[in-house]
Amino acid sequence: MSKEVMLDCLGEACPVPLVKAEGAIKDLEVGDVLVVQIDHSCAVKNVPEWARKEGHFVDIEEVDDGEWEIIIEKAK
Amino acid sequence: MEFFNKLRENDLYNKWFRAPYSYVTGAVLLSLFQIVMLSATGSPWGVSATFANWGAWLYQMVGGSVEKWYYFSGPGAPGSMSALEAGFMSNAGTMLNLGVIFGALLSTLLASQFKIKKIKNKRQIVAAVLGGTMMGYGARIAYGCNIGALFGGISSLSLSGWVFAIFMFVGAVIGSKLLVNYFM
Repeated sequence: MSKEVMLDCLGEACPVPLVKAEGAIKDLEVGDVLVVQIDHSCAVKNVPEWARKEGHFVDIEEVDDGEWEIIIEKAK
Repeated sequence: MEFFNKLRENDLYNKWFRAPYSYVTGAVLLSLFQIVMLSATGSPWGVSATFANWGAWLYQMVGGSVEKWYYFSGPGAPGSMSALEAGFMSNAGTMLNLGVIFGALLSTLLASQFKIKKIKNKRQIVAAVLGGTMMGYGARIAYGCNIGALFGGISSLSLSGWVFAIFMFVGAVIGSKLLVNYFM
């Protein structure tokens, strides 16, 4: 069974969401999903950019005004 | 309401006002605007020197005096008493900085991404106050910040801009280590 982990980065500015996401994905197995909650617009750019570069599957969902969930499925 | 729902689906609106621009686009726009600013005002773009003036005005409001401070009246001082006497509304730097703040507000409103963020913990406050104080103090004794000394320096082919860049990089490495180890 793959699991889904939420990472609350609301109220955190760059580069904290990216550093936390990098740390959190290390503890996951392939197929697990990491959901990074952010409300910092530049993290909407650098978190998905990093995850795609690492080869993971990435989806961005705008959940509210100025609030996003970056959904990352660990691929390797 | 229907208008806004339609707008959300409009490709041009999303491309221009909502999607983040690339780093290259940002760099080109910044370069163009700083050339416009230099030719229009005669001095390069700066941000943090204005904050020293704002601080001096606040200090004067509570009865303080900065006339004898080296920063404002010493030989070759970066600040100037005449700029302080001219006042808040006649200061080009003040208008620029207010423009940056209002521009940022406008762009986030146009993107419908405005949000008042929560303070997560006390460590965030300590980090912000500590970091802000060190950056502000450092910028003043270096006679400029990453805009005035780095961006303005390098774009006007001054060696000092490159020296600033090297030491700013050193500072950024130390700052990142502190952030990761103590403040998150």
